[in-house]
Amino acid sequence: MSLITPLFLLGLLGIALPWWLHRLEMQTTEREKFATTRFLEASKKRIHVQRKLKYLLLMALRMAFLALLAFAFARPILFDDPEVVANDDNVHHVIVIDTSFSMHEGRRLQDARARAGTIVDGMESGDVASLFGASTRVTTLSEATDSADDIKELLPALAADNGRLDLGAMIASLNGLLEDSPAAVMLHVIGDFQLSGQAVRFADMIPDVINGRPVTLDVQNVVNTATPNAMVESVIIENRNSVSAAIRSFNTELAAGERQVHLSINGIEQQLLDLPATGNGSALVVFKDVLFGDGDNRVDISLTPNDTLANDDIRYTVFDNSPPAPVLLLTPDTSSLGITYMSAALATAPRRYVVEPNAVADFDARVLQRYPWLIIEDLGAVNATLAAALTDYVRGGGSVFAALGPRSSSLTSVPVLDIPMSAPVLGQDAVPSAISQIDTSHPSLNKSSGWNNVNVHAMKVVPAGDDKILIAQDSDTPVLIERNIGAGRFMLYASGLDNSTSDLPVKPVFVSFMAEVAQYLSNEKLLVKAQTADSYLQLTQSGGGSGQVVDPSGKSLLSLQDTTQAQDVLLNLTGYYKVFTPAGEVLVAVNPDSRESDLALMTTDTLQSWQASVAGASGNGNTVATDVELAATRTDDGDEIEIWGFFLLLMALLVLAESLLGNRYLNLKTGTF
Amino acid sequence: MAAVAQPRSPMHLLDPRVLASLSNLELVAKAAVEGFVIGLHRSPKFGFSQEFVEYRAYGEGDDPRYIDWNVYARTDKTYIKRFLGETNSHLMILLDSSASMGFGSQGLSKLQVGKFLAAALAYMSSRQHDAVGVMVFADEVLAYRPPASRSGSLQGVIHTIDQAQAQQGTAINKPMTRFQEHIRRRGLVAVISDFYCDTQELLDNVRPLAVQGQDVILFHLLDPAELAPDIKQSTLYEDMETGHAIEVAPAFMQKEYRERINAHIAAIQKAASGMNCDHVLINTAEPLEKALHSYLTFREKRG
Repeated sequence: MSLITPLFLLGLLGIALPWWLHRLEMQTTEREKFATTRFLEASKKRIHVQRKLKYLLLMALRMAFLALLAFAFARPILFDDPEVVANDDNVHHVIVIDTSFSMHEGRRLQDARARAGTIVDGMESGDVASLFGASTRVTTLSEATDSADDIKELLPALAADNGRLDLGAMIASLNGLLEDSPAAVMLHVIGDFQLSGQAVRFADMIPDVINGRPVTLDVQNVVNTATPNAMVESVIIENRNSVSAAIRSFNTELAAGERQVHLSINGIEQQLLDLPATGNGSALVVFKDVLFGDGDNRVDISLTPNDTLANDDIRYTVFDNSPPAPVLLLTPDTSSLGITYMSAALATAPRRYVVEPNAVADFDARVLQRYPWLIIEDLGAVNATLAAALTDYVRGGGSVFAALGPRSSSLTSVPVLDIPMSAPVLGQDAVPSAISQIDTSHPSLNKSSGWNNVNVHAMKVVPAGDDKILIAQDSDTPVLIERNIGAGRFMLYASGLDNSTSDLPVKPVFVSFMAEVAQYLSNEKLLVKAQTADSYLQLTQSGGGSGQVVDPSGKSLLSLQDTTQAQDVLLNLTGYYKVFTPAGEVLVAVNPDSRESDLALMTTDTLQSWQASVAGASGNGNTVATDVELAATRTDDGDEIEIWGFFLLLMALLVLAESLLGNRYLNLKTGTF
Repeated sequence: MAAVAQPRSPMHLLDPRVLASLSNLELVAKAAVEGFVIGLHRSPKFGFSQEFVEYRAYGEGDDPRYIDWNVYARTDKTYIKRFLGETNSHLMILLDSSASMGFGSQGLSKLQVGKFLAAALAYMSSRQHDAVGVMVFADEVLAYRPPASRSGSLQGVIHTIDQAQAQQGTAINKPMTRFQEHIRRRGLVAVISDFYCDTQELLDNVRPLAVQGQDVILFHLLDPAELAPDIKQSTLYEDMETGHAIEVAPAFMQKEYRERINAHIAAIQKAASGMNCDHVLINTAEPLEKALHSYLTFREKRG
């Protein structure tokens, strides 16, 4: 405790005031002579004692009040001294073992376990140790314990996972986990310290001061040199019959034919190629005439023979070879240019679609129910009967994307939507207007970009109050509006689908826009089928209920209740996960983070700098800081805590006590008790 | 001492505070008695005249000045003249000078007022040719002067009274026993005290006097602060005789103490009545008229 303003301590002299006043009063209350006390109540003697005690207590309260007042003005400070908070002789050994994917290599994990065992064996009496595993997340394996045996019992079961260790994220997690550490923290980090694991910002690797004490860092690297490693970095499937695999080698160059590359489809090896030389660390292998099955295909590319980090010698990929989904397109002219544009755009969408043109004049409305959504090239060609059928179709859950082609120019009201419209006057000098407003929060527009380059001659449509304007021009003319009708959706594009009234079909944004419109109107939500290990698969992307998830080992991950409620699932294994969605079984390929395959090390200088930055202690990356070094870090002052507020609180309590006691004392004095 | 107001009538001389301004106790006695007498209606019943009534045989203690020598010459016997109002009695004044008598809240202690009263009684008796004696006592006899009606004995009695100082405790048995040893004639006994003693003890010691034929009058002196104390806050009272201190609250003094002191006074009165004694309660703040009047009434009844 420190008193910052000693002058205010002079105020302590003020406590002499109540003492002096009380003393004066005591002097005036000398005994009075009385003829006899034989008729007085002898028991009343205790009143005097009681009164005297209360009197002294009252005086003490008043003196304490003034003392607190003086102390409060002196702004006393408590130092949150770590030496006071905890036993300085004790050390909390926080042992963090890297369990990331790279620790699968060689004997890295065994060596790390041995290092941890050595640390706990060296614990002194009163020391405690806790054990953590660090990968994508930091896992608490053992809370602080003074039993070395408890820690050592856990070590054999410690296994590397498929995650990636980022030292910055690790330190951030430890800061939270070690908040309540019982003693000075000595952080032992045991791992392979890959260069790729270094935080982007060096400062992120500096742990917080815990309990007012700086953390002492002990870096223990289980490897001294960068280990050669090769991996399958990526797989690209083209034209539904060609598979290209990018092979990458780290810290070494592979000679041609040194390794073989295998292609397996759905577990059946189809082709084997020699790996060409990895010039500049990479090589490309192309498998041609590959045969895929329908639906999701498991495409495995593997390297043989395996190196010391075998888990990245195979890469899992899912290729969806499902047939394209049919989309009905109603058109007044089955040879129109709009059909060509639309077919091309939808054929390249992630979920392939095949456009089925139908002439409006010959269309039998009863087949509408076969399609989850449809396209109308020119809504002006729709007669009243078909318009009514379309209304019923949408109300029942179907969706429509309709354009206003040349035949709509004579209309005064938009069919189905029944809103006023008029055609623009298009002279020879008429110039289409640009797009100025886009509702990018809408699912059909949130990924597409480039609308600013689109110019459109739009029909003048007056939307109803409930209609959503998704795209508009400068003059506030709606270009794309949406209306919910019953359970379905109706999107109206206020121009034509060919390039005579708009340049949208020839702009790149058209393809992505139509792909999103198709996904939106078909109500399909696609899972991301390529995932990184130790990440979470968002099950909400599968649409509707999440369904069951089976991991690569065949284990069901969700309980029956979770299958309808789980929002995501952790993908901690590499391989293929099966996800059962409303649309059917979907495969998700999970591979380790490619950065874990690069076994290049952080430099010794970096590690030493890290240690020095954390604790100010010297180290070479392979030594354990001693308790002496640790103790040297404990002399720093802790946080300052101003406590005058507590004094004011105490003063308020004293005033209350003084009032109560003063009243009782007065009662005693006058005998009105 | 408060300033004395200018006197307007002889009765003011009975005010103890006025008497206290007189340094000479004999003068005090004269002033008190003269003031009292002047205020009385002349009456044979209370006469202080020198009118001759009869002769009676001379007895021990009688003032020889009143021996009728002519009768002695004729009869060879000593007779003394008796006058109207004369009772020819012995008056023995027992003055309590215990420490408690030193208490006084009005500038006068009970002992001072007791002295005034004793001196006034002695003077008054002397004027009526009574033999006057005095015994000053506390827990033992401090001074004793046997009754005498000789010339000059009054001065001796007053001097003895004047010398009394408040001291020691109260023990009425010793002085009473001593008194009984010395008293031989029937007479009047005036006990001036605050009677802070046990009622039974008082009875045990006064009863023999009554049995002997002594006419006893008890002047019970109490200060206003003893009769009706009025304190504003709890007070630590120290007993003047024992030094024992007790803390008392105003509420107690307002009610319970008054009940107790009144009960004590009533007990003394009852005891006196049982012994055929007179009891006169005297508030020391009040004039001595009441005391002197009570004495004359008492003397008349017993004379």
